[in-house]
Amino acid sequence: MNAVEQEAGEVARGLRRRDPDLIDYLIQQYQYRLFRYLLMLTGNREEAEDLFQETWIRVLEKGHQYKRRWKFETWLFSIARHLAIDLRRRRQPQSLDALLQPDGTNRPLELEDNAAHSAFEQAFQGEEAASVATALAHLPPSYREVLTLRFHEDMELEEIARVVDSPLSTVKSRLYRGLATLREWLKDIYV
Amino acid sequence: MNEDIHERALQLIDKMQVEGLTAEERDEVETHLESCAQCQRRARETELALRALRSAVPRFNAALALRTQMQVRVRAREIYENATRMRALWVSCALSWILGVVSAPLVWRGFEWIGHRWALSRAVWMTGFVLFWVVPAVVAAAAIAWQQARGAVTSDE
Repeated sequence: MNAVEQEAGEVARGLRRRDPDLIDYLIQQYQYRLFRYLLMLTGNREEAEDLFQETWIRVLEKGHQYKRRWKFETWLFSIARHLAIDLRRRRQPQSLDALLQPDGTNRPLELEDNAAHSAFEQAFQGEEAASVATALAHLPPSYREVLTLRFHEDMELEEIARVVDSPLSTVKSRLYRGLATLREWLKDIYV
Repeated sequence: MNEDIHERALQLIDKMQVEGLTAEERDEVETHLESCAQCQRRARETELALRALRSAVPRFNAALALRTQMQVRVRAREIYENATRMRALWVSCALSWILGVVSAPLVWRGFEWIGHRWALSRAVWMTGFVLFWVVPAVVAAAAIAWQQARGAVTSDE
């Protein structure tokens, strides 16, 4: 058993015991990454903060379902994503048909959010923050989501497919389209 | 044909970032980039776009993490107390069931005696015996169901 598997095993045992000290540690460990993922997914800082708290409560309650063969972050992001979908459904109820793409894949977060630009601009810091905020605000949430999982989290494509609960082909197509859109919006910033 | 070569190079530039390239594909794209300024520019734009994306760090409110840790501890305490209550309920149910089984012959005789003494029909004192057995179990089952429903509601909140 390697170190990663051993750690996953310890996390799984701790979550089964609902050990609050372990969850404290996990919150410390994953706080930035989870928040960034939620922010990219929702494009809304308040929603991201609410979902951040709900996600950890859900980790406590459903910890016994975590299997050590999964990476903890894959499971964590998957929980966060389901909560984000539930939240959007509660706030903007629509028919199931409207939540699905023509290809039948899950696409519940494709909702226009005009506040996304200001949310990103306020949330991000860094030299290119304003340009990146503009670019991200023009990306559909499902593209932002896979871009952050791939290029911030360095996740494998199969792991991303598990988190977003979509076929590998859908993940690739979203990544290619997302990358093309991002490049188009950011190509002038270094000129 | 020339267009195809560029198209292929542009695809490989994206594939390099998204899926990664095989050694052959990497050689192919590198050879092409050495002699094609247009594709070089595209490769550079792609790298810069991803660098900009990676450099965007969200401001994180440390108080949010502390608040969350506190909420998790409160919820953990609630779950623990709920589980303790449920355990106590199950144990008392089990004990009452065991006691009921063990005392059944005595209780039967008791009801039979009451039936004779008060000249009740067989159906009446037997109904009394059945109710004596069933009612506590129904009350206990209702209490458990109520506790579980309460736990589910608290969890949803």
